[in-house]
Amino acid sequence: MKTMSYNTIAVLLVALMLAIAGQGSASDTTFLDTVKAATDKYDGRGVQQVQQVVQPTVLAKEEGQSGPFRVLARKQEIGRFVCSSCHDGKTVLAQNATNLTHGDVVVRHGQEGSGLACVDCHHPEDRDFLEDKKGNKIDYDHSYQLCGQCHFRQKRDWLGGAHGKRVEYWAGDRVVFNCTTCHNPHAPRFAKRFPATYSVPTN
Amino acid sequence: MRTPDNDHENDKDPSCPAESLSGDSSRRAFLKNLSIGAAAAGAALMTGCVPGADAAANGEMRLRWQEFFKKNYRLMTQEEKDATVDRLERLAALNDDLDLQIGSEPPLPKVLYGYAFNITRCEGFMECVTACIKENNLDRKTHTQYIRIFEMEPGQLDPSTGDGKFFHEVPVDNKFYMGTQCFHCENAPCTKACPTKATWKEPDGIVVVDYDWCIGCRYCQAACPYFGRRFNWGKPEIPRDEITTKQHYLGNRLRPVGKMEKCTFCIQRTRKGRLPACVEACPTGSRVFGNLLDPDSEIRYVLKHKKVFRMKEELGTEPKFWYFID
Ligand code: SF4
Ligand code: SF4
Repeated sequence: MKTMSYNTIAVLLVALMLAIAGQGSASDTTFLDTVKAATDKYDGRGVQQVQQVVQPTVLAKEEGQSGPFRVLARKQEIGRFVCSSCHDGKTVLAQNATNLTHGDVVVRHGQEGSGLACVDCHHPEDRDFLEDKKGNKIDYDHSYQLCGQCHFRQKRDWLGGAHGKRVEYWAGDRVVFNCTTCHNPHAPRFAKRFPATYSVPTN
Repeated sequence: MRTPDNDHENDKDPSCPAESLSGDSSRRAFLKNLSIGAAAAGAALMTGCVPGADAAANGEMRLRWQEFFKKNYRLMTQEEKDATVDRLERLAALNDDLDLQIGSEPPLPKVLYGYAFNITRCEGFMECVTACIKENNLDRKTHTQYIRIFEMEPGQLDPSTGDGKFFHEVPVDNKFYMGTQCFHCENAPCTKACPTKATWKEPDGIVVVDYDWCIGCRYCQAACPYFGRRFNWGKPEIPRDEITTKQHYLGNRLRPVGKMEKCTFCIQRTRKGRLPACVEACPTGSRVFGNLLDPDSEIRYVLKHKKVFRMKEELGTEPKFWYFID
């Protein structure tokens, strides 16, 4: 009689535990399931305060995961653009070039020992353009087309949104930084420097 | 119920003579004054006029009275929210001569915020930290920071093993950097610990604090497994010209002393479609922010295409903050 009741209790306990475990797995839906289920395009028109980005932009020549997007323009950032105002067919002495405009250019781009030369990216004849390895003329505003031929993984992430960043707004039309907005194309690694601040132990 | 316009009229009522109030606008000071002049204050509320009270002080007294007895923000109607931010703006103008724009923007429909942090890209420059301090009016004296950046040994993924107090040239070769802040847990243990329901999760996923209902018991801080919350030991000291005047009731408004505060995903910005200050300031693009319910958003791209993980996932807190690698 006594053993019987012990057995009954044991069985009941096991049943109870199973029930609890079963419940646990049944309620295993998380907010991530809601996130994954959200497949409708977001209509950002409700976010009224979003304004136009003030910096000059161009429509990207490729599509991101969300379709067309804009990228910060580059040309207005280049001192003495257009290049053909000097490179107009006549010979430019290397010495003059250094004095006039290219003196600050230090190329630290590419493998150590076999760094890149100017014409690896710049168009050898038409200096107002860049040139990729297939010989396509590339506009300075669309330099991502050039960078992407080597840095294709970064470019893929940039198109999707895991590399680089948006300008000012998460909502509204997608406007992103160009490669050259952040990276100096001649020395694309960020220089080492001191942090902007320091931390003290918090409470 | 008095409308703000009525208050203005009464402020100018010449039939209400002078009574001086201390310039200290803390709750405690208010209570102290109250115990001295409770009857008078009661009369002020009833009639809008204290015998022997100066018109301006009388108006201020009424604003403070109404502020003191307001509801928890979560229970207010939009009209009540508008009224309280209006009172707070007017009190800031009266007491500190500050011209603030305090908002009470509600959550945007069909938006759930998410955040991702690229541990391959962060180089420890801490521009995010300074931007956050400035944007959110953090106390400069105690050097309060919502974000912490840890310098980590390769292979380690727990910030408690890292150095959170580095100050040398960065990045150091063979180290990587990892940021923490409030992770806006979907299943936030901090909100359950609060005895006054002064902290809760908004429908857009932001975990907020009603600073005026917070009693400073710090239970939420103890409950947070991520070290996401900060207690302000003093009235925030900020140089006048550095105060961010565009504020939100649940965000960067100037907190009274003894309150719990933390990252709010910059609610004052994000509810207007802007990026959080830290995301905007990051020079390396390590910080990705967006709408989790938008299949086209950058954050969804990261979740879908990158190797992501969350901190202490096993706790079931469901942070809406992911780390990812390139
Ligand atoms: S990180 Fe901490 S403070 Fe933020 S929601 Fe989670 S438990 Fe709360
Ligand atoms: S989202 Fe805003 S409040 Fe949060 S850490 Fe970034 S800057 Fe600070």
